[in-house]
Amino acid sequence: MAKSPFRASLRRDWRERDVRVVLTALIIAVATVATITLFADQLQRTLTLSASSFLAADRQLISENGQPVPAEWLAEAELRGLATAKMVRFPTMMFGDGNFQLVSVKAVSAGYPLRGQIEIQTTPDSAREMRARGPEPGTVWVGPRLLQLLKVSVGDPVEVGELELRVSGLLIREPDGGFSLSGLAPRVMMHADDVAATGVVQQGSRVAHVALFAGDEGVLTRFGRWLQPKLLPSQDWVSIHDGETLSASLEKAERFLLLGGSIAVLLAAVAVAVASRQYALSQRDSVALLKTLGLTGKAAGRLYVWRLLSWGVAGALAGILVALPLYAALAGLLASVLESEFALQVEPRALLPALVTALIAMFAFAWPPIRRLQTVPAMRVLRSEPGESRLAVIPDIAIAVGAMVVLLWLYARDVTLVVALLAGLALLLATLAVLGWLMVLALKGVIGGGSSWRLALVALYRHRRASLSQISVFALTVMLACTLLLIRTSLLSDWQAQLPEDAPNHFLINISPQAVAEVKDFWGERGHGINAVYPMVRGRLTELNGQPVRQVVSKDERVEALNRELNLTWTDRMPADNQLLAGRWFEPGETRGVSVEAELAQRLGISLGDQLGFTIGSETITEPVTSIRSVQWDNMRPNFYMIFPPQGALDTMPATWMTSFYLPETAKQELNGFSRAFPTVSVLEVDHIIARIQSIVAQVTQAIEAILWLILAAALVVMAAVVSATLQDRQREGALLRTLGARQTLLVRSTMAEFALLGFFAGLLGVAGSEAAVWGLQYRVFEAPFRMHWGVILPIPLVSALILALFGRWQLKPVLRVSPMLLLRRLE
Amino acid sequence: MTVDKQTDGEHSHIMLRLHNVSHRVDLGHDTLTILQGVNGEINRGESVAIVGPSGSGKTTLLGMMAGLDTPTEGTIELDGAVISAMSEDQRAQLRAQRVGFVFQSFQLLPSLSALENVMLPLELAGHKAPLQRATELLNRVGLGERLRHTPRQLSGGEQQRVAIARAFASEPTVLFADEPTGNLDKHTGAAISDLLMDLNREQGATLVMVTHDEQLAARCQRRLNIDAGVLSEPGVPA
Ligand SMILES: Nc1ncnc2c1ncn2[C@@H]1O[C@H](COP(=O)(O)OP(=O)(O)OP(=O)(O)O)[C@@H](O)[C@H]1O
Ligand SMILES: [Mg+2]
Repeated sequence: MAKSPFRASLRRDWRERDVRVVLTALIIAVATVATITLFADQLQRTLTLSASSFLAADRQLISENGQPVPAEWLAEAELRGLATAKMVRFPTMMFGDGNFQLVSVKAVSAGYPLRGQIEIQTTPDSAREMRARGPEPGTVWVGPRLLQLLKVSVGDPVEVGELELRVSGLLIREPDGGFSLSGLAPRVMMHADDVAATGVVQQGSRVAHVALFAGDEGVLTRFGRWLQPKLLPSQDWVSIHDGETLSASLEKAERFLLLGGSIAVLLAAVAVAVASRQYALSQRDSVALLKTLGLTGKAAGRLYVWRLLSWGVAGALAGILVALPLYAALAGLLASVLESEFALQVEPRALLPALVTALIAMFAFAWPPIRRLQTVPAMRVLRSEPGESRLAVIPDIAIAVGAMVVLLWLYARDVTLVVALLAGLALLLATLAVLGWLMVLALKGVIGGGSSWRLALVALYRHRRASLSQISVFALTVMLACTLLLIRTSLLSDWQAQLPEDAPNHFLINISPQAVAEVKDFWGERGHGINAVYPMVRGRLTELNGQPVRQVVSKDERVEALNRELNLTWTDRMPADNQLLAGRWFEPGETRGVSVEAELAQRLGISLGDQLGFTIGSETITEPVTSIRSVQWDNMRPNFYMIFPPQGALDTMPATWMTSFYLPETAKQELNGFSRAFPTVSVLEVDHIIARIQSIVAQVTQAIEAILWLILAAALVVMAAVVSATLQDRQREGALLRTLGARQTLLVRSTMAEFALLGFFAGLLGVAGSEAAVWGLQYRVFEAPFRMHWGVILPIPLVSALILALFGRWQLKPVLRVSPMLLLRRLE
Repeated sequence: MTVDKQTDGEHSHIMLRLHNVSHRVDLGHDTLTILQGVNGEINRGESVAIVGPSGSGKTTLLGMMAGLDTPTEGTIELDGAVISAMSEDQRAQLRAQRVGFVFQSFQLLPSLSALENVMLPLELAGHKAPLQRATELLNRVGLGERLRHTPRQLSGGEQQRVAIARAFASEPTVLFADEPTGNLDKHTGAAISDLLMDLNREQGATLVMVTHDEQLAARCQRRLNIDAGVLSEPGVPA
């Protein structure tokens, strides 16, 4: 094809309203998807960074076999541009002033921590300070409790193995302090360079060597892939997502972003689809005319493919140009919320989904009518041919649905998410079909009178094909927006319920049986009541149905619970947030049996009635499994894998007691008095972890709100695009009705009523579809129980009716402005 | 509704009165005069043809008389009401009750069936039994078998019949037609002319039509010429 006619056709295209609608839809679609993808990327980076401080790095390589991490690996990481640091963790005895105490040492190299900061005090009474690096060689920071246990003060010498170190500070918080009840020994931090001189760390001693890595996420991932095959079973490559405390929340947030992105993709597809299809259909007359002038069908097809492609590329580029400042604004918002620096980062990869969405949607929806353009008879010029047959639409719908599935899959790559959204979609279409049929039946007899409602009903019925297709687009839009809204609401309330303001933030461990009452009184008198106190017996799970448990469990299943002692407890009441999944809870007076945590049961293949053997000290007990429970690990309360009945097998075992309670920031100094009164009780302060999680959740909440608003805006734009696609027909019809004597008020009212009805039904359908989608998503993706959202079933259709009525009013404006004289002037 | 005192007595037999009607449009740099000082009267029940060269202002004049637009100067009275001084909504109401239209390009709504197209004005006027009335009329124009067909399935002549049925549906006292046969062949045009004249006679309506069709013009009782926006009647000194 010669170049100039093509260019001329583009120029002519530009003057056409339909082309401008396609372009607008395309720009908005690309802009929305690109903004969300870019922002999601940014959010992920920010969150990972913020969460990474829990590891003091982005990744840890933990080697539990007593061997240091090979130097070549660290060299390789540095070669790739990653920052590295090392630490060694080991338990040892510390001596000071004639006393000694078992401590848990962390020796850190110069770079530590790569992420986050260490909080220390230089004297017990001084203010807390943040440090970006560990203690200097020759010095040591110790947990405050150690000063009392060893009877030393800051500045005094202490001994670790053969080395004498000077206490230069009190270790309050390590970024990677983590939270584990087994870390009961007082903590000590020293410099890694001093380790050799202590002579404590020898081949085979209980020591963990840890290498820390930080840097670009992509480089880390590639490095991880390089490293993975070289790892021994005793070496573990850990990312923040493997941590227990935050990972669940973060994963849900990431999934929410993915869902938001997917919904943006679908909305965008709908907008582009409606517009491009409209464009293709509107070209029928031009093609017929061109054919009378000698254009062949093939050439016409080619011409339109090129035109569509040109507009597609132009629209996509413009959309990206719109997305960039939007993204920058959102990222700025995020940074100001987090009070953190932000670096804008536009990865070409993040722009890809937007472009692919735009082009696939455009061609999938415009292509069928364009292909049929090739066969448009030239006769059409002389005489308008009947419209397309109903059957011709079926392959179109198939292509369209196929395109949606492909798009969704390309974007999300998450089976459940795709299936849930498609299930909602399917339900929506099925209901729509039924509704369409009902509408035809119900409205058949209605005849318009002077009343605007009846006129509206008549209009709905008479334009039933257009009405149904509009309802489906509106319903789809409502469904998508509503799905996101519902998921967000339940996600947020989930998080809030999980870590309320007064979530327990201090653990008291190692309480002797005699001291339980006194400890309760101590805090009770100070207004910080303690509820549940649990006995704790340390023991290992060793046998399953008479066989050593390590043989029963396959080798590649690394079950951490088997490697260490478990905290066993007994109680007559199941912890409030546990849920009984199988079996039954202990009856009063029942003394046999054990209740097992569900995930562990699954991994070890434990079922009801199995006999579990535990080794406690030198004794062994065997109990049948009587129930299986789920446990909320991330709620910062005492949680137990194994619970026994009171007066059961554990009754005679040596137990200490533990509890958790909420201590407000303002009452922190009470801890000093407590430690003096109960020097043997360990206090585990997790308030900073909780505060961090709460702040991260707050950040994520903000981000989720922003995404939700963005999607809602996109949904409105889609609706507007659909409404305006019919503008020309409505202008003509409005002009005719006015010539026939319709008063403006009647026209306005009946149009608003018509759109309100459309909106109401679409809203109803959309809510139904979103309930289906949310049901699927809650169960499988967000792992939360599903409840019907009765509260939205009426408001959403009403809101959607109102919005569409306003759209209708807005669309009518030009109809009212245009003079009925237009008809005499043969506007076609 | 304003009624001119002086015309009170004659009101019964004068359907349309134009007094010094001029219409100008502003083209930015200068103004274009489309109608200039048009005067005239049309009696109740009369049939009038307006003829003139293309671009002379026929359509504009017809639109003014039907109250689709208002002139920049002068007054127009339709059935005793000064429509040139009425609001858009008042004129709409008047149209709904007393005015029918036939357009050169038919102007049927493509998504509606023939029946529904004819029912449209009846519903707007709040007619009691629009379905029967529309069916009757379509039978009368010879389309009793095509009630459910959409405009796309009808030929041009058939579409114009539907349009005529629609125009007479609400029993207008005055019917305006802008080149009703302009898009049709000679034979079909003649049939449509017959239908238009017959129905008009049956209903006793006033008919004002613009046409290039000499035969059709000849069948009207009066003939008005318009040229460059100036109206004249043959045999009547301006
Ligand atoms: N809104 C307007 N703006 C500018 N020019 C206008 C407008 N309305 C009408 N005209 C001009 O006024 C003149 C008369 O128009 P009109 O449509 O009344 O002519 P006509 O006699 O009906 O012609 P035809 O027989 O071709 O239909 C034309 O030159 C037309 O271009
Ligand atoms: Mg004309």
